[in-house]
Amino acid sequence: MVLTQRHLGIILFKAYADLRSEAARTYLSFMWWVIDPILSMAVYYVVFGLLFQRGTEDFVPFLLVGLITWQCFTNTINHGMTTIQGNIKLMNQVHLPKVVFPSIVILMDTFKFSIVFVLVVLFLWIYGFGVGITYLALPIVLGVQLLFTTALTYLLAAIIPFLPDLKFLVQTVLRLVFFLTGIFFDGSKMPEQYQFFFYLNPMANLIEDCRNILMHNLWPDWNALAIICLFSAIGVYAAYGLIRRFDYIYPKVIMQ
Amino acid sequence: MNAQGATNEPVISLRNVAVYFWLKNGFLRRRRFAALKDVSFDLFHGESLGIIGRNGAGKTTLLRLLGGITRPDKGTIINNGYKTALLSLQVGFDPQLSGLYNAILSGMLLGFKKGEIEAKLYDIVAFAELEDFIDQPVYTYSSGMRARLGFSVAFHLDPDILLIDEVLAVGDADFKKKSLAVMKEKIRSNKTIVLVSHSAGTIRQLCDRTVWIEEGVTRAEGDTESVLRAYEEFLRSSKTP
Repeated sequence: MVLTQRHLGIILFKAYADLRSEAARTYLSFMWWVIDPILSMAVYYVVFGLLFQRGTEDFVPFLLVGLITWQCFTNTINHGMTTIQGNIKLMNQVHLPKVVFPSIVILMDTFKFSIVFVLVVLFLWIYGFGVGITYLALPIVLGVQLLFTTALTYLLAAIIPFLPDLKFLVQTVLRLVFFLTGIFFDGSKMPEQYQFFFYLNPMANLIEDCRNILMHNLWPDWNALAIICLFSAIGVYAAYGLIRRFDYIYPKVIMQ
Repeated sequence: MNAQGATNEPVISLRNVAVYFWLKNGFLRRRRFAALKDVSFDLFHGESLGIIGRNGAGKTTLLRLLGGITRPDKGTIINNGYKTALLSLQVGFDPQLSGLYNAILSGMLLGFKKGEIEAKLYDIVAFAELEDFIDQPVYTYSSGMRARLGFSVAFHLDPDILLIDEVLAVGDADFKKKSLAVMKEKIRSNKTIVLVSHSAGTIRQLCDRTVWIEEGVTRAEGDTESVLRAYEEFLRSSKTP
């Protein structure tokens, strides 16, 4: 079943309603979308900047850009991967193309990220970084990241109803990759022999591109970006195909 | 009651339909469970078809099949292009959101476009008698108020074929009377309806024709009176060992 305008309407409105609902649950409501990344940023600053003295030059902006980019990625996957499994009740009441469920979460997390990202850019300007011509590449880098995140989220959401145990594994792998992604260290200063492996990680590339644009007025690594974009597009296509293929199977497989 | 349409082409036909579920069965294993094994019948335009059977006979699975939520693993189901919908109450309700938001959200999930539901909002709220509370979050509602809103949204849906699972009346005593009355009116109208129940009384009162399902197999299809007689006969004989 192909997504119709009605389904796109559902994705949009449900994402909006869920954001409202989430905000209604706490006293500080949507302020948490900003406070939460600042708090985790403070934790890493204390641990790596102050205690271990591993900070690079301009460590706060460096950490901030890396951390929020990573958090957008990992939040979307963590929230999105169980959406098909989690909507068993709804999918037994009405027929919806199941790709609707992860799409709602992707939209929500992208929206929250946009707010935080704008604030970080404002902070960087106040801190003293300027706007360069390479800002033109920023939408492309962020677009590729969205595509990559979507591919992984769809793929996991498609498989987890059959293999619910996978979500624990994913959380551990994400935690490992977090430490290998160069969020609180500079990957380009790694020993030569490890660099190849370091840059096999799409998030390491994307985060470095973001930093290069925002802090050093450098263009992103176009080759790497093109490869990530290509694989992500294939991934989205394949995962969407899987979800469509299992559209009528999910209501029968998921354990209630 | 209308009995027209019985001579027309069927709107939906089922032939030897089977539906399997995969249940988790211990460590790293799943077990196949046949909710429906061999079901065949026709649904005609404008009729009210009752589906009767004991608990666990596969009635709900059958309704989900007719509603396009699942597909048969064996056999065929032919729907000649009609839009079906399950009468589901409180679909997608979020207690943190206002009644109004929930009505819109629920209506969109049930198949309305956003504009359509907004055009009907006034009627929906009025029918649910929630004018004074509609901007309050639903978690402040009593369960009766919630049921009224859920029923009102679902009832304003107008598919070609309406599928009803047991519940006809919801809410507090007064609203129960009201919802039962409008449901009966809808069922007796020229609408195509499938009504699932384990109660012979409800079906006898509302349905032109009836299909009897037992352990996933159609045991009988025909006019309500003769099918129910066979069903009741079967119940009596199975109770006395």
